[in-house]
Amino acid sequence: MNRVTDIHAYLAEFDDIPGTRVFTAKRARAGYHLNQFAMSLMKPENRERWKADERAYLDGWAMTEEQKQAVLARDYNRLLDLGGNIYFLAKLFSTDGLSFLQAVSTMSGMSLDEYAAMMIAGGRSAEGQRSIREGR
Amino acid sequence: MARITAGVASSHIPALGVASDFDKTAEPYWAPAFAGYEWTKRWEAEQKPDVVILVYNDHASAFDMKIIPTFAIGCGESYQPADEGWGPRKVPVVEGHPDLAWHIAQSLIIDEFDMTIINEMDVDHGLTVPLSMMFGKPEAWPCKVIPLAVNVVTYPPPSGNRCWALGEAIARAVASFEEDLNVQVWGTGGMSHQLQGPRAGLINAAWDNDFLDGLVGDSDRLRHIPHIEYLRETGSEGIEMVMWLIMRGALGKATRVLHRHYHVPASNTAVGHIVLEPV
Repeated sequence: MNRVTDIHAYLAEFDDIPGTRVFTAKRARAGYHLNQFAMSLMKPENRERWKADERAYLDGWAMTEEQKQAVLARDYNRLLDLGGNIYFLAKLFSTDGLSFLQAVSTMSGMSLDEYAAMMIAGGRSAEGQRSIREGR
Repeated sequence: MARITAGVASSHIPALGVASDFDKTAEPYWAPAFAGYEWTKRWEAEQKPDVVILVYNDHASAFDMKIIPTFAIGCGESYQPADEGWGPRKVPVVEGHPDLAWHIAQSLIIDEFDMTIINEMDVDHGLTVPLSMMFGKPEAWPCKVIPLAVNVVTYPPPSGNRCWALGEAIARAVASFEEDLNVQVWGTGGMSHQLQGPRAGLINAAWDNDFLDGLVGDSDRLRHIPHIEYLRETGSEGIEMVMWLIMRGALGKATRVLHRHYHVPASNTAVGHIVLEPV
């Protein structure tokens, strides 16, 4: 049985995974208003207000200026750093008319075509992607 | 008495729902993913389960950041398909089984699983895509469904061991329900996928297939896999596979495999599917 006995060690391991932001309590706390903003785009009337004036809509939310700038720039890796969660951010890219494949490719550093081709060829290998510390 | 006759596991990739809804399943990209469900569609038509206990996770649809239940059971009469930002899927309303659901909720709480009870909610692709994969496009779903939502989004999700133990407790609860019902337990989500960051697109077919192997027979090794292994080996969203262990735990000591399917990719994700029966 691998019962977790040390919460600090449990959390520290998450930072050892290359190119990944695990949605920890710390990120959930930092990203609360950012994610709730994104959630608000589920409602058609909110999407209309958002599309009409993005900046004014954002100013109605208790988000940091950094978060607002990252939203306006659609910088999804930055949004993950600032506490965004992908299932909430999905409301933002869906409002932009992007699919998961299109939006996710923007975080991968690849073009959509390259990313889609990688997926069809079997996806990104886990080799070298498991641990920064151990280089495996 | 009610009895659990089978366990089914399946990915619940939203793009599969889109392909089904817009009749794209014969297209070359989608056909291999859907082909692996043809056997199951025929088998389900013969099995005619009365109730499916459907383990899934909500993707910021019914639950936002306001309330994050670890384990929530739907005890309502019915559930509408959720509007996930592009209009609700045009699939049938999901009919619940409140009597069995409340019985399970009570039994689990007495069994020391502190469940959240949900009477009203919409259900998103996590629940409706598996119904489409197993039943196709009927006018009405052919069985009642008890939604069992698990938090696998905000860390920490429940451990695999806890999920397995919850499955065991669900089996005890079902066995003590007096009505004669044919009940299946479905575990959904996975398999390997990562939808975020520079490592997006990670797929680990070897790990996924070893996980499928581990569901069959009398081993309980899968219940001991720590979160960090799912994260490292299967991508950040591969953690959804802990939900399959609720299904496996509900099947008891040993299982036999009836059908198995694996295909890469559907959108960003590895499609995995298995049908098991208790032995």
